[in-house]
Amino acid sequence: MASYTERQAGSRLADYLSERAQVLSIALFFAICILFFSATTTTFLTTGNLLNVVRQAAPILIVAVAMTLVITTAGIDLSVGSLVALINALAAILMAAGLPWPVVVVLMLVAGGLIGGVQGWFISYQGIPAFIVTLAGLSILRGFALLLTEGYSIPIRDAAGFFWLGRGEVLGFPVPALLAILVAILGFIVMLHTQYGRQVVAVGSNMEAARRVGMPAKRVLASVYVVSGVASAIAGMLIAARLGSGSSNAAQGFELQVIAAVVLGGTSLMGGRASMTGTVLGTMTIAVIGNGLILMHISPFFTQIVTGTIILVAIWMNTRLFDRNWRFARRKPS
Amino acid sequence: MMAAEAQATRGRGDAPLPPEPILRLRNIHKSFGSHEALRGVDLDIRPGECLGLIGDNAAGKSTLSKVISGTYIPDVGEIELNGRAVRFSTPSEARDLNIEMVYQDLSLCDHVDVVGNLFLGRELKRGPFLDQKRMLAQAETMLAALEIRIPRLTAKVEKLSGGQRQAIAIARAASFEPKILLMDEPTSALAVAEVEAVLGLINRVKARGVAVVLVTHRMQDLFRVCDRVAVMYEGTKVAERAIGETDLQELVDLIVGKGGH
Ligand SMILES: Nc1ncnc2c1ncn2[C@@H]1O[C@H](COP(=O)(O)OP(=O)(O)OP(=O)(O)O)[C@@H](O)[C@H]1O
Ligand SMILES: [Mg+2]
Repeated sequence: MASYTERQAGSRLADYLSERAQVLSIALFFAICILFFSATTTTFLTTGNLLNVVRQAAPILIVAVAMTLVITTAGIDLSVGSLVALINALAAILMAAGLPWPVVVVLMLVAGGLIGGVQGWFISYQGIPAFIVTLAGLSILRGFALLLTEGYSIPIRDAAGFFWLGRGEVLGFPVPALLAILVAILGFIVMLHTQYGRQVVAVGSNMEAARRVGMPAKRVLASVYVVSGVASAIAGMLIAARLGSGSSNAAQGFELQVIAAVVLGGTSLMGGRASMTGTVLGTMTIAVIGNGLILMHISPFFTQIVTGTIILVAIWMNTRLFDRNWRFARRKPS
Repeated sequence: MMAAEAQATRGRGDAPLPPEPILRLRNIHKSFGSHEALRGVDLDIRPGECLGLIGDNAAGKSTLSKVISGTYIPDVGEIELNGRAVRFSTPSEARDLNIEMVYQDLSLCDHVDVVGNLFLGRELKRGPFLDQKRMLAQAETMLAALEIRIPRLTAKVEKLSGGQRQAIAIARAASFEPKILLMDEPTSALAVAEVEAVLGLINRVKARGVAVVLVTHRMQDLFRVCDRVAVMYEGTKVAERAIGETDLQELVDLIVGKGGH
């Protein structure tokens, strides 16, 4: 007589670890980067430099949070760098024309949302692949920025409040970094604890299922591009405020840094799987590497090579090393 | 309980007056490109009754149920709900009218946990936030009512077995007071005990006056829960029988097209 036994429940810790393997591995990589640059440079681990890193990382993080939503829907937004440049230039032009800076801030947020909304409409309601729409956006928006500025850098004058956004400090901590942290916390809450976050995940996981249970699937899909437009507008203004000028050449290669940060953090390009914590860690890793390479007196052009390599390796790890459940894939004995 | 059993066995014995149909389909046509999936189907669905929908593969059973659930909009034809003409342009409109469906492909979100899938599209909220605690508690009762055992309700659905996934899809459709419950091959991946639980569920909701449409290839189940059986063939309804007036052999002949039509 065979005896019937119940299967043992797996250990909570093992479940927890396997679900978070991706985030833990990027945390480890981040720690290794910090140790490496601390050991190889004398300046990396100084308060001044670390504050500099977070100040520099702030615009990337803000857009990366929004990009996490976009990629969770299995989409992509390649236009964020160009939109940052356009907003950056436009804000400077409007302030040079005499508009008060708070008005400009509101106008730019609306403009970013509208531009994102147009792209979202093409993607969601017209069914054109996000890659194509936002690639066109990348070209068009940068073109508008160049056209408006004719390639010149436009100085911003007498806007102390605006400059504070980019250069100010609260208790010794840079304002843009504080803003970025707020945005990240907001992103975290929205993703995990609101109905909208659930809808974003559902649409990315199974669009037809989301539609069948009555979710406004198309509206949700379009909305993530509005979010990334608004986030890009914030980033564009922070950069203008830090540099005190607007330029169509701002944020070159920005979209790649953002996408690298999100993918490195473990959000799946196939949609449905998001990690805000991973995005924060991924952004900080990218920022630390960029900063560390400069401190090591390696050519700044090298940063681009590293960013590209990180994207490739991160995606390769996502698809090959981790299986569907983010566990290290074991070869099944055949 | 007594009433439930009495009602559950009704339709087999002396046929009582059939209740007014809750849903009436007339001359439903649906094409995909040049392919006519449905070629003029009439169907009545009555409260408290289970209608078995059978037919060969690709006969159009799923397409017909999706027309009822609002997933597909018919090209031609009328749908009447409680005597009033309706036209669903989205599944949520049908869902708002208490028409629920278990889809053949289940329609679950792999990356959302069990609780989230059960409440997909009608999340409970506390203020602006999801009320995870209350959803978890209700999910436990929902699954317990169907005798579905899933160890960890916060596990992502992608980690569950095929049968567990199917059980979740059934629980989702059955738990929110449907008036019409469409089930497209709900038991295809289920083990013996789970099939029994689903058949028990069908009899229970029928007793509450719910109209059930059961698409299945398991002929033995038809005789356990259905009151009527409609047979589909190549996009048309070729026959309809009260369950007491037919037998397995006749139904099989009707499915393969030897029914003398
Ligand atoms: N979305 C679609 N696009 C194109 N053709 C479709 C679509 N859905 C169904 N069909 C076609 O319509 C016909 C009926 O399909 P349906 O899924 O309704 O069959 P079924 O009776 O449910 O079969 P099964 O028992 O295999 O589930 C098939 O020939 C199928 O190829
Ligand atoms: Mg089918």
